[in-house]
Amino acid sequence: MISRVLVAMDDSEMGERTLEYALEAHPDAETTVLYVVGGPSTMGGQATGLALSADFEEATDDLAREVFESAREIAAEHDAEITTEVQVGHPVRVILNRADAYDTVVIGAHTGSVADRLFVGNVAEKVFRRSPVPVTVVR
Amino acid sequence: MLESILFFVGVGVACFVAYNIGGATTGPAFAPAVGAAVVTKVIAAGLMSVFFFAGAWTIGRRVVDTLGQELVRDPAVFTLPASIVVLFFIGGALFVGNVFGVPASTSMTAVGSIAGLGLASGQLNWAVMGEIVSWWIVAPIIGFWVAGMIGRYFYVYLDNFIAIDQTDGPLVEFDRRGGVPRPVLGPGTTRRELIGSSVVVGIGCVMAFGSGTSNIANAIAPLVGSGQLDMNVGIVIGSVAVAAGALTIGRRTMETLGNDITHLPLTAAIVVATISSLLVIGLSSIGVPASFVVIATMSIVGLGWGRATRTTKVADSVQGREAPRASVGALAADEETATVGDPTISVESDPDPIGEEEPEEVPAASELFDPSTTARVVIMQNVVPIFATIGSYATFLLFFGVR
Repeated sequence: MISRVLVAMDDSEMGERTLEYALEAHPDAETTVLYVVGGPSTMGGQATGLALSADFEEATDDLAREVFESAREIAAEHDAEITTEVQVGHPVRVILNRADAYDTVVIGAHTGSVADRLFVGNVAEKVFRRSPVPVTVVR
Repeated sequence: MLESILFFVGVGVACFVAYNIGGATTGPAFAPAVGAAVVTKVIAAGLMSVFFFAGAWTIGRRVVDTLGQELVRDPAVFTLPASIVVLFFIGGALFVGNVFGVPASTSMTAVGSIAGLGLASGQLNWAVMGEIVSWWIVAPIIGFWVAGMIGRYFYVYLDNFIAIDQTDGPLVEFDRRGGVPRPVLGPGTTRRELIGSSVVVGIGCVMAFGSGTSNIANAIAPLVGSGQLDMNVGIVIGSVAVAAGALTIGRRTMETLGNDITHLPLTAAIVVATISSLLVIGLSSIGVPASFVVIATMSIVGLGWGRATRTTKVADSVQGREAPRASVGALAADEETATVGDPTISVESDPDPIGEEEPEEVPAASELFDPSTTARVVIMQNVVPIFATIGSYATFLLFFGVR
């Protein structure tokens, strides 16, 4: 019985589809939406921007606000309650780190951006290979 | 007849490259100033054009000589068709970089394309190539180190000094009561605001100058190297094309910067721009084409890394400038340098003096930087130049039979 679902979301269209799928596939589960900020970027700007912020927590929340807003909208459409969580670091490491506390991880196959593919790598592939719990890759 | 058509095609492609350089460089140089509403976009584009030309005219010609005459042993390999192909690779790299959001150094691509031609014709000067590549490794390391020191020890003071608190009304007004108009501070303008605004505009000009010193060669070196185009004429034509790019695409890139630099606070953008521009100008003045993108990236990472691993002073926390929890992460990073980026250790060993949340829920600044991530970023920035080198080599080997 799957009762705790971790949805790894990003700011792409695929991220929204991932959450939709998770809510449809596990309607009765407790769903946590995880968004990772400050990961690798083309010139390292996001991580440094965070490191230099006067209020670290506020800065991470700011970066996550938009994604969580659309996540809550999607949840409302599905009559579901979600918990949101923002973390910093490399997405693969963060997701694997948090996966232990859940029954399954749901993640999108890719963000659809060439720069992400080059500079971050395929997150889904690495999570899929190393996760301690079952992983669903949404396509 | 054919020769003169080819010549105009060559100049056209060179202008296209310069036009794109103008578009791509205006954004990073003047976006902070335009964003802070210190100058309008048209003035920014104008400043860009003037300072680019100044950089190209004074120092830029040294890099043109390096690329056009020294990197290949015999500049005669720059026949018109060969020059056009080289310029196409440089322009193509700019284009690919813009479309896919993959930052690529124009200078690295230019050196790569010319090296491809040199390799295929057996005319590559390995000594010059070796010197250039060594600087591509050394300069980013210098940038990282300087930015790291600033991030660790001086950033807070700089941030206090530069902060722009915008007030309404013009920054400066002219006092006409005397015989000669005299500039005075506008209504509500504080001294700090004036200093901050001048710094932002000034650094944009320095970046534009730096871009001129290193980028003019990327557009005109093949044509100038082989003597088809006069150096001075080339610099003027190239700079005009850059100005056209700054006024058209540049105005757009200043708004919607698909550029990672926009994530940085203003002070950080200024620090990074200063370090990288000075390095670029320095390298250009010894005739070395500089890799601005890589230098800037390593400066950005250095600044953030230095800041994230700093020793937090008591005074900072008392003033409420630092979020206490961020400093927990930074302190942990200081004590356990070897484990920065290893979440399990830093999370478990962090004392949580406030104790308001579960430690595992707390994001830590020390999570932000690890060497493998940075290495990957820098390696990927080399993808476009490497493809240009291989593509140029293959093209000249297969289709031109230059050997």
